[in-house]
Amino acid sequence: MTINTGFSGAVLHVDLTSGRTSRRSISSETARDFIGGLGLTFRLAVDAVIPGIDPLAPGNPILIGTGPLVGTGIPSSSRVYAVTKLPATNTIGWCGAGGMAFGCNLKYAGYDHIIITGKSDRPVYLDIVDDDVKLRDASGLWGKGVSGTIALIRQRTGGRGGIAAIGQAGENRVLFSMAYIDGVSTMGRGGLGAVMGAKNLKAIAVRGTGHVEVSDAARYKTLAAELAGTIRNYPYLKEWQQLGMLKSFPMVPPELYEKIKKRRIACVSCPFGCKDLVEIPDGPFCGHTASSSSVINLLMPIVYGFSDYREAIRLVSLLDEFGMDMFEFFGIMKFAAELFAQGILPANENDPPIVINSLSSMTAWAEKTAMRKGAGEKLANGFAGLLAKYGDRAAACAPALVKNMHPYTGPDSALPWDLFGTMELGQITEPRGPHVGSGGSPTYFAKRPLDLFPRHLERMGVPKEAIPRILSANAGDKPGLNVGTLLAYSHRWFSTLGSLGICARAQVNRFYNLELCSALYQAVTGLPTTPEQLRLRAWRVWSLYKMLNVRENAGLNTDTVPQRWVTRPGFREYVSEEPLEQRQVQQMISAYYREQGWNVETGAPEPVTLKRLGLNSLFT
Amino acid sequence: MKRFKIKVDPAVCTGCMRCMLACSWVHSKRFSLSGAMIMVDASGAECSITFADGCIQCGSCADACFYGALAKQAPEEVMP
Repeated sequence: MTINTGFSGAVLHVDLTSGRTSRRSISSETARDFIGGLGLTFRLAVDAVIPGIDPLAPGNPILIGTGPLVGTGIPSSSRVYAVTKLPATNTIGWCGAGGMAFGCNLKYAGYDHIIITGKSDRPVYLDIVDDDVKLRDASGLWGKGVSGTIALIRQRTGGRGGIAAIGQAGENRVLFSMAYIDGVSTMGRGGLGAVMGAKNLKAIAVRGTGHVEVSDAARYKTLAAELAGTIRNYPYLKEWQQLGMLKSFPMVPPELYEKIKKRRIACVSCPFGCKDLVEIPDGPFCGHTASSSSVINLLMPIVYGFSDYREAIRLVSLLDEFGMDMFEFFGIMKFAAELFAQGILPANENDPPIVINSLSSMTAWAEKTAMRKGAGEKLANGFAGLLAKYGDRAAACAPALVKNMHPYTGPDSALPWDLFGTMELGQITEPRGPHVGSGGSPTYFAKRPLDLFPRHLERMGVPKEAIPRILSANAGDKPGLNVGTLLAYSHRWFSTLGSLGICARAQVNRFYNLELCSALYQAVTGLPTTPEQLRLRAWRVWSLYKMLNVRENAGLNTDTVPQRWVTRPGFREYVSEEPLEQRQVQQMISAYYREQGWNVETGAPEPVTLKRLGLNSLFT
Repeated sequence: MKRFKIKVDPAVCTGCMRCMLACSWVHSKRFSLSGAMIMVDASGAECSITFADGCIQCGSCADACFYGALAKQAPEEVMP
């Protein structure tokens, strides 16, 4: 049986090699079992991904999906996920983005998902207007940056719809190149941009003139009104709306932010609007405007030593224009500087000399890397490429890496938090490589009192019987926090939100709970769903994600602890704040596997778990 | 149904388009952008907010706005 409330009920298949497109329906049973959005995209990947495929080969598919709440006006329900084999880690990973106008337009065009395979023989962009799906010539776009590409496509589309585009870094297969939705939301720091570039796919533009219906309008109306009321009564709503992500990470004073702020930007139906449009008010870059997934991203070079915020904005604008991940770029630059210092990279290639806090140096190296010029050719291959080329000597001076990528948080990383919570541990157990997006929990707020945890854990769908296991130390003999056990539920909560299409940011997901999610899901889709059923499906979704990587032989024994994290000054234990030891992190990883029903030694889901989740038949 | 004058403040609009979805929902029990009588264009430096001729000024768009970009003023008249 097909499904058409909440869901559009169809997958758009695009073969770039032949140019053929087709529309295939989704059964309600499959939609129900994998929820939608992120979960259903993983399910489609089981059949679409050829095990062992080279990430940059034509046969590596790009799957894009939106959840059943996307386009329904439910607050912050705009998420878009891509799943592909990522070149930076050679793993199958999710790439998430605040969907801006892309997700709802995809639904209104009549699709929940797109599966893109093959490779075009010339640069193209995919242009979707309802049933009219075209591969249009992109020779005039090739070589242009992200914003330039989007501006030209918008001229052709009249400014309507959503656009996901890559810059020059994606065209040149830089391993940490991303796609950008509407020029603002970043997607896929592990190299989604390179996968698109390898397919000669410059962009995807979608406009939908159709609609989404809900199954139970009266129930939907009640739930939506209650949720909106709760959000409006939130005492910090105005502050979030005014400061955005600066509220949680005050990198510059509010007065300075007010000077540069042009306007806040929100994804469709979001009450917070974490994105920004800013304008440099004075100095040599006076009048330069930049839009970003957050103003703190634009200012992040300050953390790397930039003293002038205007230069920071200028550099990140350039990285965004090339379409490269800023965190990985800085990690690579610091590593390259060390390789030059050690004589491992030839000194004559250090031109201009790498100076991490210099705008002129970083500007030159951003271009060299994105265009693969000079030594930029080597740096564009990321940590994995440099370590493969220069071996043990390079490894000896590498920073803390997880699956050969630069973590967001931790010693040597950009974000300064040093208490080891679920987001920090999650960087290790994420199959896609270090990412904090899926590991959210109350530990997001450092030093939050433990007696506040149960309320949040229940909200996240943690079963009551699991809470005592979480609120105990690893040894179980004194009050504490078992971060590994908690992380299993962080990943299931992320799976729930991502599969519905709801943003997982802390300031948004605080308004959601498992009961509300199941009620909304049922009202919108008409699929009977209890909280317990939704909890089981979310576990199924994350275990399926793991199995996709086990099938690649990439999910086994790869969750290792960077030595630097447990070398003083390294991470500290979340509750005691004592220096963290490697043994403790290993225990957390084991506890995480155990709670997930995965093998404690290899990390692979146990056969009994696969059977309970109904996944065993997919991997025989 | 009451008819309201809608006060518009594009300077605080974030382009979230929730107003458009509310409009289509209230009038058709479907969510769409093309069916909305209010249009938000967020592609420029400042959002542009316009109303189609078919707008009946019911105020549902202002009720949906989280940012204060739309506000209902005193009802002008009661529609039959």
